[in-house]
Amino acid sequence: MITLENVSKRYETQEALTKVSFTIEKGTMAFVTGPSGAGKTTLFKLLYLAEKPDEGHISIAGFNTATLRESSIPLLRRNIGVVFQDFKLLNNKTVYDNIALTLRIRGIMERETKERVNSVLKMVNLRHKSDSYPLTLSGGEQQRITIARAIVGEPTVMLADEPTGNLDAENEDAIMNIFKRINAKGTTILIATHNKRLYDNTAKKVLYLDCGRLVKEAIR
Amino acid sequence: MFPLRLAIQSILKEFWINLLTVLSIGALLMMLFAVGTIVYNIEIMTRRLPERLSILVFLKDHTPEGDLKVIEARFKSEPLVRSVEFISKDKAMNNLKKTFKEDDFILKGITDNPLSDSFEIRLKGNNLSVNDVKGFIDKIRALKNVDDVEHGGKLLESVYAFKQGLRVLGIFTGVIFATAVIFICYSTVRLLFYRRLDEIEIYRLLGATKAFVRAPFFIEGAVIGFIGGVLGTILLWILNNYLIGRIMVNIPVFSFISVPVGSLYFMPALGFVLGLSGVGFALGRLKY
Repeated sequence: MITLENVSKRYETQEALTKVSFTIEKGTMAFVTGPSGAGKTTLFKLLYLAEKPDEGHISIAGFNTATLRESSIPLLRRNIGVVFQDFKLLNNKTVYDNIALTLRIRGIMERETKERVNSVLKMVNLRHKSDSYPLTLSGGEQQRITIARAIVGEPTVMLADEPTGNLDAENEDAIMNIFKRINAKGTTILIATHNKRLYDNTAKKVLYLDCGRLVKEAIR
Repeated sequence: MFPLRLAIQSILKEFWINLLTVLSIGALLMMLFAVGTIVYNIEIMTRRLPERLSILVFLKDHTPEGDLKVIEARFKSEPLVRSVEFISKDKAMNNLKKTFKEDDFILKGITDNPLSDSFEIRLKGNNLSVNDVKGFIDKIRALKNVDDVEHGGKLLESVYAFKQGLRVLGIFTGVIFATAVIFICYSTVRLLFYRRLDEIEIYRLLGATKAFVRAPFFIEGAVIGFIGGVLGTILLWILNNYLIGRIMVNIPVFSFISVPVGSLYFMPALGFVLGLSGVGFALGRLKY
């Protein structure tokens, strides 16, 4: 479902990723870990095509990013749910509108949008915050909204960049439980984290990045 | 539906910028219409000029009557001729005496009538070019028994040259005003685009196509242009009915002014198209 072959990315003189290769099977919940600056966020940006690799091939959700035309990038992104490290919520829109945006972009009718948004809000336990604005919510709540927005489009692959950063243990568990439920439905999930506790109990596959290189790949 | 909602939200949210844009577009379209009205009026005033100018064809002395008939028939067969009148030398003298009235003593010393037989030709008014008239006059000159031709060709030529110059100036000014409207829409859209850049980035990351991102801006540009056009139309309508009407009544010099009121109603459509063009130019060069 996610395959990288000798992928490299550099920014001016700095090498962000060097010859990274791995495969994540369909329906797997995998983790990518490593210290800050290891290349986790760069890897994610390459996966959802915010950046293009300088070398190598990436295949994700059935798309080969090397041959993908510019006009088809939205199609790829509709198949990937992304939980951004900085949330990327629209602070001038309500929680409901933030989540509904994913479906409105796809031209889904308002009635179906309402049903699906309410369903994911229930799943992340924030049904009562539907009319609130993101900045009035706690960090954990905002993170759950971001997850709800990522899953409402029923993606085949989900990427979560530090989804529990700065959250307490209770919120961490709540968010990991949501990921487990999504994964149980068959969605491939790749989570970037440097929190060992997260992947110790859950992961089938852990990728260790350091200085832009894949230094270890653990399969359980 | 969603892009429409985004456009409406943006119009309301950025109310003051949009209002300023609408006012500017309205004012520019008014000026564009004023230029059009001037050109239109000149066009109308000069359209019937050839009809008012007559051509006098003086014949040589002792032209046989048979030839007169042939010449008259020849004139009448010309498609641009409206009427032909034969003026005998005697009639011409009588006309001259009538012109002088009490001062006809000037003519008392003249025993032989020095005037010539002539034809007065009037042309059809519409759509005659200077070249048509010139060509016709050359044809007349070439006729047998024609001594001289007097006509307002020179005046016609000057007026037409002036009209042509004014038309070019009108088109040039019109293009400038239309470009200004496009530029205003262009600037407004770019400003709004940059203000929404973070939002647009999120849309794109969530899978929005470029068309989806652009649609609200196109709607907004079209609406702003249209409202600007409507505003211009309303203001011009008021101006036409209350101000120009009064000026025409009180100052007779202006009574000839004709306002093409029917074209007023094209202004919203023009605003709409120019607004869309402004957005097209603004978004066409942006990378996102």
